[in-house]
Amino acid sequence: MVDIANEIKQQVQERRPLTLAMILTNRWFLYGVSMLAFFLAWDMAAVARVFSSGLPRPYEVVLQLWRMMFDPLAGKSLLGHIWASTQRILIGFTIASLVAVPLGLMMALNRYVNAIVKPLFDLLKPMPPLAWISIAILWFGIGETSKVFIIIIGTFVPCLLDAYNGVRLVEPELYDVIRMLGGNRRHEIIQVCFPAAFPAIFAGLQIALSIAWSCVLAAELVSARSGLGFIIILGMNLSRPAMVVGGMVVIALVAWTMSQLVSGLERFVCPWKREIDSR
Amino acid sequence: MDGSEARKTKIEVRNLTKRFGDLLVLDEISFNVGEGEFLSIVGPTGCGKTTFLNTLSKLIPSTAGDIFIDGEIADPKKHHLSFVFQEPTCMPWRTVRENVAYGMEVKHVPKVEMEKKLDQIMGMVGLSDCAGLYPNQISASMLQRIAVARAFAVNPDLLLMDEPYGQLDVKLRYYLEDELVRLWEHLKSTVIFVTHNIEEAVYISERILILSNKPAKIKAEVKVDLPRPRSLIDPRLVEIRKEVTELIRWW
Ligand SMILES: Nc1ncnc2c1ncn2[C@@H]1O[C@H](COP(=O)(O)OP(=O)(O)OP(=O)(O)O)[C@@H](O)[C@H]1O
Ligand SMILES: [Mg+2]
Repeated sequence: MVDIANEIKQQVQERRPLTLAMILTNRWFLYGVSMLAFFLAWDMAAVARVFSSGLPRPYEVVLQLWRMMFDPLAGKSLLGHIWASTQRILIGFTIASLVAVPLGLMMALNRYVNAIVKPLFDLLKPMPPLAWISIAILWFGIGETSKVFIIIIGTFVPCLLDAYNGVRLVEPELYDVIRMLGGNRRHEIIQVCFPAAFPAIFAGLQIALSIAWSCVLAAELVSARSGLGFIIILGMNLSRPAMVVGGMVVIALVAWTMSQLVSGLERFVCPWKREIDSR
Repeated sequence: MDGSEARKTKIEVRNLTKRFGDLLVLDEISFNVGEGEFLSIVGPTGCGKTTFLNTLSKLIPSTAGDIFIDGEIADPKKHHLSFVFQEPTCMPWRTVRENVAYGMEVKHVPKVEMEKKLDQIMGMVGLSDCAGLYPNQISASMLQRIAVARAFAVNPDLLLMDEPYGQLDVKLRYYLEDELVRLWEHLKSTVIFVTHNIEEAVYISERILILSNKPAKIKAEVKVDLPRPRSLIDPRLVEIRKEVTELIRWW
């Protein structure tokens, strides 16, 4: 009798004998097929000179990256340039999230804060962050500050919006539960608003991170002596497509790694989300 | 309207009235509940049952009338009220055990006492096995049991339940109703249980108040003087069920 009411959701894995059809429909197998097809097509396009000399072969890109690890460009090895871009992102992203997330939470929790900040925010929100590049250079010069500034501008919006919405979308019944049990406003905020907003905050951080990469890249393309955007521009000026594509590939890899780190942090901070994510 | 002569009166509701603008939903409802009584309130869908519980529990202000607990005006900050809502309300970020513990935490129950009570209640509602799981890992019926366990755990002066088992299938509902009666017998809480299911009301409660269609008034009161454990096919129970059904249909 107890069983009918005690039902736990579990993921059951079926074991079936290995068949050819199973291998052919296996997820990992298909991943491999799609990757292989992509690189083959790329290589063929490069050999056939579809873009005349503008497309390097994949192995040339790898070779180029390998060389850049040891031969410095503008005084920095490849790792040095990766770190240059990453550092800008870390600084800008950290500053923006440390200000925007608490501000977003406060806007959602206090209507006076909301009334003061919201109009300013709505005014500035539609402006694309890259529109700030020129003015940032006029204000801060072409050094680090203007790049970090652009990143802050770009990442501020998603950090703030998602923190704000995370609190606004809390199920109102949860507040009733607390009030019913005699809890006060402090309980509501700490026990419900914050944990409920965490997943939304992390979603905002993920979006912010990808925007940060666009921003840093744009800023580096405009003016820089270091960073992955610099490598791309240099490759273009030197007519070395392998360098351009190499820069693009590295950006993708580093950006992916950072977003994985944020996901990892989210799983650590929001353990209750694990079950949902692992589908 | 006094079904508890032998008992001390615990809850007194006087002329409870609620309007939403021009819409009169509750019309001067008055009744008493005895200490440790299990009272059911039945009424047709949309007659204002949820509104009734919400005003009773002070979640929404009443237009007129008042509620007294032990002779004092009810106040969620002072009295221990518990509410099991129509929908399960668990905090997704707390494990099952932490969810059940929540009410006691808010009320600053000492740690040792809390753990003891938790073990007892979790055992009684069969949640011990999944104490460490998160709400998204368990089924809907278990979520509602968390809410029931959480509500009983604070030793409430008054426990309000708003069709907690409305969405569950029949078999599961019988099982949880038995469980609810067991909890109530052990913990001796005063319960007001709202439902539109007449059979459920007759099966679990000691007394039934029947609400009329909107605006809700108390139309009749039926005592259910049957020994426990009860059986749904007991002719006396069937008799009372018919009586209540007649009363509800007769307007
Ligand atoms: N906040 C509100 N403002 C205006 N009208 C309301 C409000 N809440 C409820 N009502 C009205 O009060 C009436 C009773 O609603 P209530 O939810 O209390 O009924 P109920 O008996 O709980 O229904 P159900 O059986 O579906 O749970 C309905 O006609 C509803 O439209
Ligand atoms: Mg209702």
